[in-house]
Amino acid sequence: MNQAVLNELKAIVGEAHMLTELEDRYCYSFDSTFINSMPDLVLQPSSRDEIAAICRIAHAHDIPIVTRGAATGLSGGAVPVKGGIVLEMTRLTNIIEINKVNRYAIVEPGIITQDYLAAVDKAGLFYPPDPASSKMSTLGGNIAECAGGPRGVKYGITRDYVLGLEVVLPDGSIVQTGNLVDGDMSGPDWTMLFCGSEGTLGIITKIMLKLTHKPQSKQTMMATFDRIEDAATTVSTMMSSGVIPTTLEIMDNLTIRAVENFLNIGLPVEAGAILLIEVDGDPKAVEKHVQHVLKVCEECNASSVKVAKTAQEADDLWKARRSVSPACGKINPTKISEDATVPRSRIPEMVSAVQAIAKKYDLKMVIFGHAGDGNLHPNILSNKHDKEEMARVEKAVEELFQAALKLGGTLSGEHGIGYMKAPFLVWETGVEGFQFGKDVKYAVDPKSLMNPGKLFDYRPSPS
Amino acid sequence: MSEQRGHEEWKQQLVKCIRCGTCRSVCPVFKEENNENTTARGKVQLLEGVMEGTIKLTPTLQERFNKCLLCKACVKGCPSGVRTDTLFLSARQANACENSLPLVKRLAFKGLTFRKLFDTGLRIGSVMQHVVMKKSADGRGNQARFNIPGSGLDLRRIIPPVAANTLRDIVPKKTTVANPIGRAVFFPGCMLNYIYPEAGKAVVNILNKNNWDVTIPDDLVCCGTPAFTSGDQATGRELATANLKSLSGDYDVVITACASCGAALKHEYGEILQDEHIHHNWEELSTKVLDISEFVSKYGNPALLGSLPLKITYHDACHLVRGMNVSKQPRQVFADVPELDFRNMKDADVCCGAGGTFSMAYYDLSRRINDHKLTNAEATGADYLVTGCSACRMHITDGLSQRKSNMKVMHTAELIDLAYQNGTQQKKGGK
Repeated sequence: MNQAVLNELKAIVGEAHMLTELEDRYCYSFDSTFINSMPDLVLQPSSRDEIAAICRIAHAHDIPIVTRGAATGLSGGAVPVKGGIVLEMTRLTNIIEINKVNRYAIVEPGIITQDYLAAVDKAGLFYPPDPASSKMSTLGGNIAECAGGPRGVKYGITRDYVLGLEVVLPDGSIVQTGNLVDGDMSGPDWTMLFCGSEGTLGIITKIMLKLTHKPQSKQTMMATFDRIEDAATTVSTMMSSGVIPTTLEIMDNLTIRAVENFLNIGLPVEAGAILLIEVDGDPKAVEKHVQHVLKVCEECNASSVKVAKTAQEADDLWKARRSVSPACGKINPTKISEDATVPRSRIPEMVSAVQAIAKKYDLKMVIFGHAGDGNLHPNILSNKHDKEEMARVEKAVEELFQAALKLGGTLSGEHGIGYMKAPFLVWETGVEGFQFGKDVKYAVDPKSLMNPGKLFDYRPSPS
Repeated sequence: MSEQRGHEEWKQQLVKCIRCGTCRSVCPVFKEENNENTTARGKVQLLEGVMEGTIKLTPTLQERFNKCLLCKACVKGCPSGVRTDTLFLSARQANACENSLPLVKRLAFKGLTFRKLFDTGLRIGSVMQHVVMKKSADGRGNQARFNIPGSGLDLRRIIPPVAANTLRDIVPKKTTVANPIGRAVFFPGCMLNYIYPEAGKAVVNILNKNNWDVTIPDDLVCCGTPAFTSGDQATGRELATANLKSLSGDYDVVITACASCGAALKHEYGEILQDEHIHHNWEELSTKVLDISEFVSKYGNPALLGSLPLKITYHDACHLVRGMNVSKQPRQVFADVPELDFRNMKDADVCCGAGGTFSMAYYDLSRRINDHKLTNAEATGADYLVTGCSACRMHITDGLSQRKSNMKVMHTAELIDLAYQNGTQQKKGGK
C-alpha cells in the first residue's frame, strides 16, 4: 500500500485509529479458529461516513476490506486471508433508539451483544438470540454470521429478528434495506441477502431489530438417560409433540465425565447422556409444559428427571453446561467446534454417525449442543501441534459434513461458512447453486474486495 | 529459569488459548483502549509469533506487554485456564533481557536490594521532598512542582508524602503480650513502612489485641514485586531470597497487609525461585501467609469489636481477590462490626487502574479506569472507601481529589483497629 493511500486513509480515521506496526497487525490476524493471516493495515472508523470514504479509496486502489467485530467467529470470517484492510467496527456502539410501542431497536453494529441485551432488558423488552459469545461478540458480527444460541429452539435465530439494515457497498454507496414496520420492503428481501453474508457483500453500518415481550416465567429441568440414543429420541419426540421448549441442550457421556471431573457436583458419570431442558411462558402454561416434558422423558426411557425448585437450583443445572469448555480444555488443549446441523427428526441418526466417525479416526469427540435445533456441536478435542492427529481431524470433519448433508442438514447451524468450510460449500449448494451464489457476489462486489476468499469467493488453490 | 524450560512452559500455556475472546469482556485496559493488542489473546498470539520467529523482542513489543495492569482478570475469566499472568511476566522478563529496562528502573531496583541504603534514601527523601513536591490544594497529598525526568510523575497526580517517621520508627521490632496465643511475623512492605505507617501500626494493634506476639524483622527488604513484574527477575530473586531467610524464624503465621506483598510471598516467590534451593523454605512459608483481614476472620475475636457507625464500601484489590483469594474474609469482618453500614459496590473486584508502575507510564489511561471505580463507589452513598492495598489507596485517593469528591479512603486494618479501640472504650464505658 503506497504512502499516498495511507495518508488519505489516515486523514479519514485519524492517526490513533490506523494501526500499521507489525506487532499490532499481528494481533488482527486471527479469530476464534486457528487460521492466521495478517492484514496490511487496521482501521478503526467511528462512523458510516468514514466507512464509506474508506470504501471509496479501497475501491479505487483495489484493496480488500475485511470487516471485523469482536473476531469471536468460528469459521475464519474475520481473518484477512488475502491481506488488505481489517476494518474494526467496535467504535460504532450507539443504541440509536429502543421503541417500546412498536417494539424495535435501532443500533450501530459494533455494540457488544450483551450490552444491547442489557439495554433491551432495562426497557422491559426481550431480544432472544443468545450466542455463547454474547459477552464479547458484536451485533454486526451476529448478523453477518447469522448467530444462533440455546434459545433458538423456540425463538429462532438472529435472522428472524432483523427488520432492516443500512449497508455501505464496495464502491462506497449506501443502501437501506427493509423497514421498521414489518421488515418487508417492496421487491426481494435484501435484508436477508446481507444476513449471513459474512462481510462478502458490504459493510453493515446500522441495524433495525425486532423485539418481543419478556417471558413471565421459566422452568429448568435435567433429564438423565442410560443411552444417548434415548436422549436423541426424546428430542425428536418432544419437538413433534406440540410443546416447544426454549432450550434443549444435550451432553454426552464423555462431556459429563469431563465436567464432573472439573466441577465435582455429582453429575451422573455413568449416564449415556443428559438433556438440559427449559420451558418459558406464562406461569400456568409453564406448569403444563413441565408435566408434558416429564411425560415425554419418561416415555423415552429417561432414568431420572430433576426439576429445579429455585433459581439457584436452575443456575446449578446450567453451571454444568457452562463449564463444558474449560472441562474439555483439561482433556486436550485444542477444541475444534463444528456446527453441522440436521433436521430435528434425524438427530438419533446423526448421533450414531458422529460416534462412528470418532471411532473410525480414533479421536476424542464430544457432543454438547443445541439438540433442539438439530445442532449437536460435535467438538473434537485435539492438539494443534500434533500434525498427524490434525490430519485425522481434517478427514473426520469432512465426514461429519457429509453425514449431516446426507441427513438433509447443513454445514453450518450458526458459525457461518467463512474460510474453513468454503471448500465444502458446493456439497451443500450443488454446482449450480454455488455458481448462483458467485453470480450474486460478483454482481454486488465485481472487484471481489469485500472479505475475499470466503464463502462463494472461495477458489481452490492450484496445488 | 533455564531458557529451554521457559520455552516449554510458554508452549504448554500458549497452545491452550483458543482465541475465544472472553478476555475482551474482562480486561479493564481493553475496555478503554478497544484494541486487540491489549487483550490477553492478542498477547498470546504475539508470543506464538515470538516462538515462531515472526515477531521479535523489539521495544515496540515490550511496550505492548507493559500496557497491562497484571490484574489477573483474564486469568480468572479464561475458560481454557491459560495462565496469562505468569506467561506475561515471563514475556516481560524476556523483553527486559533483550531491550534492558530504563536506567531509572534499573537503579531503583538495585537500590531495593540494599535495605539500609534504600532506607536512608527515603529518609532523606522525606525531609527533602518539599523541594520538588508541593502540597495539593485539598491537602490530601503532594504534587510535583515541575516535571521530574524519569519519575513518571504526572503534574496533576496527587501522591501521599513519604512519612517523617516510618513504621519501624513508631513500632518496636517486637511487641509481646501476656500469655500469647501465637507468634506472628509481620511483613509490612515498603508502602506501609514509608508511606502509610499508621495502617502498619493498626496491623500490629490488631494482632496484639487478639493476644498474638508480633515481630517485624529488621532485615526485611522490598517484596520484589516492582522488580519482577518489570521483568527484572534477578533482582526479584535476590529480594525474595533475603526475605525468606529473614522470615524463617519460629513463627505461626506470616501477616501481610499489602495485596502485592501477600501475593508475592504466597504465590509468586514459588514461580521465581523455582530453580533455587530456597524453594523448600518458600513451600513451608507460603502455607503460613495470611492477609490481615484473613487473620481476623480466622483467629480474631468478634466479641472485641465495638460499634462503628460508618457508611463504608470496599474495593477488592486485584492481588487480594485474585492473587490471594481474599474477598469474603473482609466482608465477614465488616458484618461482625456492630452498626457498621457496609454497602457493596458494583464491580468491586475490577481493577482500580493503579497496576504499580502502570499508572506512571499510562497515567491518563489509569485515571479513566479509576473513574469507573470511583463512580461505582460513590453510587453506594458510602462516606469511606475501604481497601486492603496501599497502592490502590494511593491511586483512589488521587482520583477522589481529581474529581473533588468528599469520600475518604481507609485501609482495612485501620477500620478493624478502630472497631477494636471502640470495643475497648465501650466496654470501659459499661456499654
